[in-house]
Amino acid sequence: MKFWGVRGVSILAGLGFAFGLETMVSAGLPNIYRLVVLAGLFITLAVSLNLINGITGQFSIGHAAFYMVGAYSAGFVSNQFYAQQSLGPQLWLVVMMVFGAFMAGISGFVVGLPSLRLRGDYLAIVTLGFGEILRIVVQNIAPLGGAYGMNVKPFGSPPKAIWIVWTLAMVCIAVCRNLLRTAHGLPFLAVREDEVASSAMGVNVPKTKVTSFVIGSAFAGAAGALFALYDTFISPDTFKMDVSFIILTMVVLGGTGSITGSVLAAVALFAIPEWLRTLQDPVTKVAIQIPGPSLVATMLAVIVAVALVKLIQDRFYGDKGKKLGLYVGAVGAGVAVQFLLAALLKGVPQLAKLSFEAAALRMVIFSATLIILMLLRPQGILAHHEFSWAWVSKLFGRRPSEANA
Amino acid sequence: MSEKPVVLSLDKATIQFGGLIAVNSVTFDLYKGDLFGLIGPNGAGKTTCFNLITGVYKPTSGSIKFNGKEVGGLAPAKIAEMGICRTFQNIRLFPALSVLENVVVGAYLRHKTSVYGAYTYLPPAINETESLKKDAMDLLEVMDLADMAGSRSADLPYGKQRRLEIARAMATKPDLILLDEPAAGMNPQEKEDLQATVRRIRDEFGKTVLLIEHDMRFVMGLCERIVVLDHGEEIAQGSPEAIRSDPKVIEAYLGEAV
Repeated sequence: MKFWGVRGVSILAGLGFAFGLETMVSAGLPNIYRLVVLAGLFITLAVSLNLINGITGQFSIGHAAFYMVGAYSAGFVSNQFYAQQSLGPQLWLVVMMVFGAFMAGISGFVVGLPSLRLRGDYLAIVTLGFGEILRIVVQNIAPLGGAYGMNVKPFGSPPKAIWIVWTLAMVCIAVCRNLLRTAHGLPFLAVREDEVASSAMGVNVPKTKVTSFVIGSAFAGAAGALFALYDTFISPDTFKMDVSFIILTMVVLGGTGSITGSVLAAVALFAIPEWLRTLQDPVTKVAIQIPGPSLVATMLAVIVAVALVKLIQDRFYGDKGKKLGLYVGAVGAGVAVQFLLAALLKGVPQLAKLSFEAAALRMVIFSATLIILMLLRPQGILAHHEFSWAWVSKLFGRRPSEANA
Repeated sequence: MSEKPVVLSLDKATIQFGGLIAVNSVTFDLYKGDLFGLIGPNGAGKTTCFNLITGVYKPTSGSIKFNGKEVGGLAPAKIAEMGICRTFQNIRLFPALSVLENVVVGAYLRHKTSVYGAYTYLPPAINETESLKKDAMDLLEVMDLADMAGSRSADLPYGKQRRLEIARAMATKPDLILLDEPAAGMNPQEKEDLQATVRRIRDEFGKTVLLIEHDMRFVMGLCERIVVLDHGEEIAQGSPEAIRSDPKVIEAYLGEAV
């Protein structure tokens, strides 16, 4: 049957991608291996939060709590029982992942219950509070290591994790995407749009909300379990509120509701700070120093360029070609301002003496990028669009019928 | 009075918000295939009455029976499943969803396949999605919205949004459909079309219709029986001719000129 053929090919392609990534990255540095694992985990976290936040519209900002539940339950159980089992490390990883997902799913159910009565900001506060409570409780449980954290007994060498982490990410994406492609996904969207109207149309609103919480948190828990077993050390500090906020930022930045957007934003937000961390002069291997005048000039130039682009966006409704030209002009103006100001500011002695390490500025660059993106594209990188081949061909100006053939 | 079966029966339905009795002991019966009007001045409790029937509010006392079963106080989704669906006075579409998707949400109420098939994208869920979409498309055809199936529902003009709400309610395959001011904000031509559509819903699809409307020409020309509310109380009930000449109704609502 054609359906199963296509199905089989896409599953094989997914697995092939995961194993290919594994072999490719294993050849590189261990540091890179770790980053690729973490990137896969963050994709899972962002996409699963997108299901709760973007698709069902329940403003949850405590996603790190589910991540933590998965990590701690898998870590604890693995410490207790790893010695007795005979499954082998890779299979054990899978079993623990399922267990972490199960535990986090239960906690997702518990958090989902207040969402039946609360909306918007109030729900956000409850989820935030839940995350913090859970973290502090774990911090005070001695068997879980308390504030010192817990060592998860490593089994032999660090396990091969990329393939399973990325498979999890792809499964998470597939589940959300499949849901939205069938009529079964519409009640989730309807609940986001209007709860009163959906219940009048017979949508079981409580069930829909709790389902989305359970699925979303289960995926986060699976990611947490993999993190615990791969990283072999977890502490309450790993799951602080700012992790929740980073995940939330990924969802919002990618375009609330767009799975593709969440994936792209997860990779970008994860990669940018990591890349900035490694900024060095390629020859001398010394951290790049940025002189004070250029830094100040760059900041002002960015403000000028952003203001110009925003102005063009808001006021100018010309054809696309002209608009693109104006954008290029605005960016060019920014560059010009930078050079001009940098030359001028060199004359200020107090400023000329200063210099900053590029890597130390990474959080500044990171947050500035976020602010700029939110100013220029408040609906997120992809807004509500999804990746599909039809969309790609439309992007390049072809009719979708040709692409589908 | 009629040998047709009773679809909806309100018996002394009452709801009280603190000291305010919004609907006081309202009693009327709807027979199968009725085109029934609910009128009255602003604040008379018409929409509250709808909210009682559809489960948004729980009646303080009295009973609401639908096809012989008590529905007062059930959850709205449960009542929709039993076969009562409604539209809203202030349009409540799903704005970011497409016109077709809006209707499919309604049609989804009668879905049969399991949601697990949807997570894994298995053929039963796919086929059902296709058939629900087809049903929805047919309804859009009836409501004359088929050409806009792909546009965002928020982008539709006002009159069409109202029609879309009716299509969405129809998609749930109800026995009884409640229309809350379906003609509000429409121009005379649109009103005329709507009258024809509502009649078609009753004649062709065999639905029972209960509607609230302020446009007296619309109500008098369409409805076969009318109940008049004022300050939560029922002041008159009967055919349009009887209502038009009822002194109580003239005093409370219609005024001398009509």
